[in-house]
This record gives sequence, C-alpha cells and structure tokens, in this order.
Amino acid sequence: MDYDIVIPPTADGALEVTVVSWIKNTGDHVSKGQDLAEATTEKITLYVTAPADGTLKEIIVSAGTKTKIGTVIGILAGE
Amino acid sequence: MMERNRKGYWLDLNLMPYAPAFEIQERILHARMAGRIAPTIILQENSPVFTIGRSGSRDNILSSPEHLRSLGIDVLEVNRGGDVTYHGPGQLIVSPLLYLGDIGLNANQYMHRLEDVLMALLERYDIDTSKKDAYPGVWLGEAKIAAVGIAVRHGFTFHGFSLNVAPDLEAFKLINPCGVSRMNVTSIAQVLGRSPGMADIKSTLKSVLEKTFSLRTDLISWQALRLEMDQLSPDDRG
Repeated sequence: MDYDIVIPPTADGALEVTVVSWIKNTGDHVSKGQDLAEATTEKITLYVTAPADGTLKEIIVSAGTKTKIGTVIGILAGE
Repeated sequence: MMERNRKGYWLDLNLMPYAPAFEIQERILHARMAGRIAPTIILQENSPVFTIGRSGSRDNILSSPEHLRSLGIDVLEVNRGGDVTYHGPGQLIVSPLLYLGDIGLNANQYMHRLEDVLMALLERYDIDTSKKDAYPGVWLGEAKIAAVGIAVRHGFTFHGFSLNVAPDLEAFKLINPCGVSRMNVTSIAQVLGRSPGMADIKSTLKSVLEKTFSLRTDLISWQALRLEMDQLSPDDRG
C-alpha cells in the first residue's frame, strides 16, 4: 500500500515551511523512521521521516518549495 | 494537583570545538529516540566558529576565508534552523534534548518557550529584554543578546539557544548575524559592565529550565552518560 509522506504536525498548522532538501531519492529503499527530507522555518528544522518500510515512490514537493505543515510532500510505496 | 518532575541529566561539556560537541549531541539524540536516555540538557562553549543553519547562506559571512583562518575562526554548515551565527568562548550554548509530547508543546511553541526561559534568566540579572515577532531570539532594545535555533526529529528536540555572556562581540561584525545586515549584538558583560560568571549563570539557568519544563536534572559527565548509553544499548540487551 502507498503511504503519504507529510510535513510532521509538530509545529503550528499555519506555519509556512520550506522543503530544503530531500535526503532520499525516488526509488531508494527506506526503513520506518528514517529521515527522508528536511523542512525549515526561519529558526526551526523539522525532519520528515518514513511512515513505514518501503520505497520512495514519488516526490510531490521538490526541494526549495514553500509549503505548510501537514502537506503531503511525497508518496512511499510500503512493503 | 502537583505535577511530577521528570528526571533528566545536566551535561556540561564546557569549552570544546563545535564538531565533536555536536557528535555528542547526535549520539544522545539517537539514544533519546531509542528510549534509552532521559531528557538531557547539554551545555557548551565552543572554540570560535561561524555556523550556517539550514536557512542560511555563506553570503552572510562578510570576511574572506583567508582572513577567518588568520583569526582562527572555522566555518561549518549545520542542521539547525536559522542563518549564520557566531559561537565562541564566553557564549553559552544550551541544547535541551526533550520530547515535545512530554512538554505538551509544538515546535513553534517550544521555540518561543526557550525565549521565555532566556528572558526569565536575564531578568534575574536585572536585564529587561523582549521578543520581536519577525526576529526570533531575545533582544535588549535593538540589540540581540541571545539567539534561538531548534531542530525536531520524531518529536525529539535538539539544538536550542546561545546566550552572549561575555563573548568577543567583534566577531559578529564579520557576519550578518542571522542573515540580518547591520544587526546589533550585545552581551551580559556589555550590558552590566561586568560578567556575573559562567558558573553563576549556569546555576540560575538550571533552575529556570527545570521549572519551565518540569524537570529535575542531575549533573552527569559525558563519560558517565556514554557508559550508561552503552550499557543499555539494544545490542547488549540481546
């Protein structure tokens, strides 16, 4: 099954964040909890982690793009 | 109802270079995420270094690499939020390794709570500071006296804040601190005309931090903490 990869809801929902980098590439195998991407506000870095074991299937929000907390930024194909 | 304070550790690394100190922070963070170590407050002073956060740019370092080398100032890119800042002797860097779920705050609230901690600490020394909406950190008028920059992984916090106790303020003139040009920076020593002493400030900070986050921390050395982490590693437990 596919899992949404979301900016974690550990900050205010209205907060604008920038996806600064994808640590993993499409097609990479990842384990649950592994870092996939980094998103930042001016003073906060949030790590986006894998919701399950699987493969990074799709990057929806590319690095350098501004988005909001809770946004789906990619899709993980679970094992 | 009386709230029970969580037990934690108070780890004072004193003066050491940024990179090995950050390695220690990462090791403790991973142990925290694995549920092996109690909340830990890490304190340190660093050898002179400019660090560039995830929102930062080398363009905000105004001096040439050659000049920085001659001054003995390193440059490192790091994984906290924020832009360029200076760390050096006389500046206290504090990294609370907490769990947001334990303290009932989201990342943004937590960052502002750290500003509250700094303001309460400075008030104990009769220094009246404020926050600015657009510029996180703690300010004395138009001069910044403390910077905040946090990171969160799986709800676990790292990095934190830096407080200018009595650092060399000239170093800040070689950068646009936090990406802001011509930003004034000050210190406790500059404001009071003397420094109360790092040990005194750490002791006051301990009481403010513990009260704010309902903690009761015990002083521990890195050697003792490392031993505890190693003894409790999942590999050893089989």
